[in-house]
Amino acid sequence: MLRAMRNDRLLVALAVLAGIVLIVIAIVYWVEPARSLPGFFPGHEAGSGHHHAKHGIAAFVIGLGCFVFAWFRTGPKRPMTTAP
Amino acid sequence: MILAALISYPRAIVLGLLQGVSELFPVSSLGHSVILPRLLGWNIHQNDKYFVTFLVATHLATAIVLFIFFWRDWVRILKGLGRSLRDRGIDPADSDAKLGWLLVVGTIPAGLLGLLLEQKLRSAFASAQSAAIFLTLNGLLLYAAELLRRRAPLADEDDDARIARRLTWRAAVGIGTVQAIALIPGFSRSGATMGGGLVAGLSNKNAARFAFLLATPIIGAAAILKLPELFGHAGDGVRGQALIGALCSAGTAFLAVRFLMRFFETRTLTPFAIYCFSAGLACTIWFAVS
Repeated sequence: MLRAMRNDRLLVALAVLAGIVLIVIAIVYWVEPARSLPGFFPGHEAGSGHHHAKHGIAAFVIGLGCFVFAWFRTGPKRPMTTAP
Repeated sequence: MILAALISYPRAIVLGLLQGVSELFPVSSLGHSVILPRLLGWNIHQNDKYFVTFLVATHLATAIVLFIFFWRDWVRILKGLGRSLRDRGIDPADSDAKLGWLLVVGTIPAGLLGLLLEQKLRSAFASAQSAAIFLTLNGLLLYAAELLRRRAPLADEDDDARIARRLTWRAAVGIGTVQAIALIPGFSRSGATMGGGLVAGLSNKNAARFAFLLATPIIGAAAILKLPELFGHAGDGVRGQALIGALCSAGTAFLAVRFLMRFFETRTLTPFAIYCFSAGLACTIWFAVS
């Protein structure tokens, strides 16, 4: 029981962390042109001034999904359907 | 002037009328908008900027019509989503909340795949020949969905409650993911989602209802993302035609969704499967010999 609660908290912490990281990544995609993106980012292209807005939206949506997951997971325990 | 000549007003009307119908009928709007100009000898290529701009307007019109058609349902669904967020859980009796999250869960994979793959798939399968081949395959997919369907038991409850009860989260993700197949011209988004709904155990009517609800945010978001192109440089010379096309598209989309919601009360995807297979095959042969 205690272990399950600890695992649940760990999962929530990871989801919040992933959410923050993904939203930061989204902002980087929106602000920086392709040439200024870190080399390990998908879409990095030397000399390109193109902004990968769509990559940013994708990262933002997944980040938001992580926050929603954490929000449901930390809700009061009631006989409700499992969160998505 | 050259742009106006490529999409003249009569052509804009034809393409708009076609878009409104084919976006919601499970027959691939993108496939038809690639094949028809080629059959009629129009010098329109689906990756041309002005054509993409034109399609943005017609897609936006379709999404607005869908939103208006299901307006009351969307209000209920959004309220349900709000309730579940407030309560931090989904009440099993709250079918609006469950349906809302099923739509969210189904939209995310399709949206992500669309964002990341749309350009590449469009470029790879831009020709009318490939669209005709995929239209044939779309017919086979629709027929396969009817064969593989799990019969939905009749229950005395409303449509949304039935959808919420029958669909699992995994099924919603699956249906959302197969939606992305429509990025390939020739495959139908509504066909894929309706087929997915049937395989997951929905009736034809409920599968169509879920497909239209699922299509609204995706079509709308895709159009809104590209709206700057319509009002930017790419829209020069095509805005008037786009407006006319959008109005035509809105009219036929409204008639199409009204017709289909009644049609699927008693009928199946089979007539559309036959149409896609035969039209796709005929066009494939025609393009090969001409």
